[in-house]
Amino acid sequence: MTGKAARWIFWIGTLSSAVIFLWMTYDFHRQTPTFAHTDRLTADVIAGKKVWHRYNCNDCHTILGFGGYYAPDMTKAFYRLGPNNIATIVMHPEAVYKNSFRKMPQLGVTQPEIAQLNAFLKWVGEIDNRHWPPQDEKFVKAYYQRAASPQNLSKVDIVMGACGGCHSFQNLGRNVAGSFDDIAKRIAYDRATLIRYMLNPQSVKPGIAMPPQNVTPETAGIIADFILALKVPKEVRQ
Amino acid sequence: MTAIEFPSQRVSLWYFRIALVLFILQVIMGLWLSINYAFTLPQALVDVFAFNTARSIHTNLLVAWMLLGFMGGTYYILPVECERDLYSTRIAYLQLAIFVLAAVTAVIGFLFRWTRGKPLLEIPFPLNALIVVAALLFIANVAMTIFTAKVRSALQWMLLGGVAFLAVMYLFGMPFYQNLNTDYYYWWWVIHLWVEGAWEVVTASIVAFIIMRVTGVDRKVVEKWLYVETGLFLFTGIVGTGHHYYWIGAPDYWLWWGGVFSALEPLPIVLMVVDTWMHVRERKNPIINPLTWYYIVGLAIYHLVGAGLWGFMHTLPPINYYTHGSQVTVSHGHLAFFGAYGILNLTIFYFAMPRLKNIIKYQDRLGRWGFWIMTIGMFLLGLVFGVAGILQTYLERFLDIGYSTAQITMMFWFRIAFGIGVVFLIGVIITVWHLFTIKPAPDQPAETLSSERGPAAEGI
Repeated sequence: MTGKAARWIFWIGTLSSAVIFLWMTYDFHRQTPTFAHTDRLTADVIAGKKVWHRYNCNDCHTILGFGGYYAPDMTKAFYRLGPNNIATIVMHPEAVYKNSFRKMPQLGVTQPEIAQLNAFLKWVGEIDNRHWPPQDEKFVKAYYQRAASPQNLSKVDIVMGACGGCHSFQNLGRNVAGSFDDIAKRIAYDRATLIRYMLNPQSVKPGIAMPPQNVTPETAGIIADFILALKVPKEVRQ
Repeated sequence: MTAIEFPSQRVSLWYFRIALVLFILQVIMGLWLSINYAFTLPQALVDVFAFNTARSIHTNLLVAWMLLGFMGGTYYILPVECERDLYSTRIAYLQLAIFVLAAVTAVIGFLFRWTRGKPLLEIPFPLNALIVVAALLFIANVAMTIFTAKVRSALQWMLLGGVAFLAVMYLFGMPFYQNLNTDYYYWWWVIHLWVEGAWEVVTASIVAFIIMRVTGVDRKVVEKWLYVETGLFLFTGIVGTGHHYYWIGAPDYWLWWGGVFSALEPLPIVLMVVDTWMHVRERKNPIINPLTWYYIVGLAIYHLVGAGLWGFMHTLPPINYYTHGSQVTVSHGHLAFFGAYGILNLTIFYFAMPRLKNIIKYQDRLGRWGFWIMTIGMFLLGLVFGVAGILQTYLERFLDIGYSTAQITMMFWFRIAFGIGVVFLIGVIITVWHLFTIKPAPDQPAETLSSERGPAAEGI
């Protein structure tokens, strides 16, 4: 091979690849509104992205698969956890991960920041990214099934969507703070106290590890009814 | 008798020294990261020094010592290639001071959560501005040295092109993007087009120079290979960026273009191994310092294994669907960065540092220990991360038994990784110590050094 031929290989190789790449970059921008739903990029979503950066979440968590591999991927976290669980985990990691083999730092994220972060994670979850990551696809499907037929939404869906980050019921949720069956056997609160307890645990039982929950009073009512209904002895329930 | 031809080559020494110190710090921070995986840390400690802070220090130190090595290496070879001193040694020192100031401030800032929160590109805007100033000074200095030289070579242009490409790509990581998928689209313009573009061009040029020097193989032959290799690197590497766009929300054709082009990415590295091997066999110079040759051959082989083979393993979309963003990536990242760029920097240091101290033949007993401990240690580390990654992928994504269940198995593997990491650190310390205190061998070769630019200048 002559030196001239080698130079031609360099220039043709480099330029052809660059041209293809730049054209595809142009097309990427053309199609991004469809894939990433840029019309839903509200001020809250953008503020949420800034929160995501401010606390350097991305050096522990991956998002779209990029970042630190120390903590779960956040691409579909909104579907996997739901807004209340995200809020509880981010604001009170020391309580949620008290018995966990891996910890999350207490970052001092504020209430408004959590709302923005949730808006951001919801938007990210909606990016049409070919159903990645595989392990979260079941949560995405379940979410849309529930959304498609809200009239069929069971109490269990609502309760576990809000409390499943720490509590378990049957084979659902996580075993951080005990199962609802056990809790139902244990507690002696009436409905109003139970609702108050969820919204502000310290006001009912000072010193308890459970953090305040970011749910509406109506949802808290549904959860309270659900738990109190479990108090019925098992034989009768069948 | 002098080992360097131009006094201004001496500026590179400080670049090398600082790079080596950062290398040690990077590895220590890596050990700390493995402890985070291997053991349960108390909440109070996690609150003040979390994994994300440590990771940003680990990765930023990596980038910093790589760039210092490249810049120092460029300053070392440029006067020889241009047959003149650097345009300005003052600019070179000023640029180094600015760069180091920005890097040190960044690391201290991370400890106080002063960060942009964007992986690998965490440093905040004011420091980024300093880095840009340093980069501009560097490019201006390199360009002026080349423009005012009386001789012309392909290597000069390749080097200038490589460092300019490197600097321009950095700019794409600086703005705030509102849209996460566009954010990561351009994040890869920095990361991917660095490691599989600009850095490869710089590497290929520096390796070409060193091979030419130590083997005495004809410049024409070396430059011909350089053109073909960089051409193929850029041909496969630029469109190959697509292998990062499979799951970010981008059109389907990226799967094909990204998959096919990135599958071809090992080709230029194979070529690099072949040409290194041929040049070593057809050397016109005697082998004076075997360790430097170890590094040259080791670079080619490790580059192929770490970047080529390990990258190829999970670059195709059906596999990447499961391995993306897992410890498999960690395995590849460690083998590729160390194999392609860590060893490259050490090759430059072993080539240049003895000469900067007027040593023709150096004592290499310690250095050999360092070489073998580091290369074998990092390979084992890559295997352990790989096993952990396959396990994680299989448990979490294939069997779908939950994140925590998969992650708890990581503790065992990261205890092993920590142990190997300690051994690797020992290898690094031996190597750095050896380079800092490099001494002439008792049996110096009889012939003195002739001009470095001559066709069969010298052996090494």
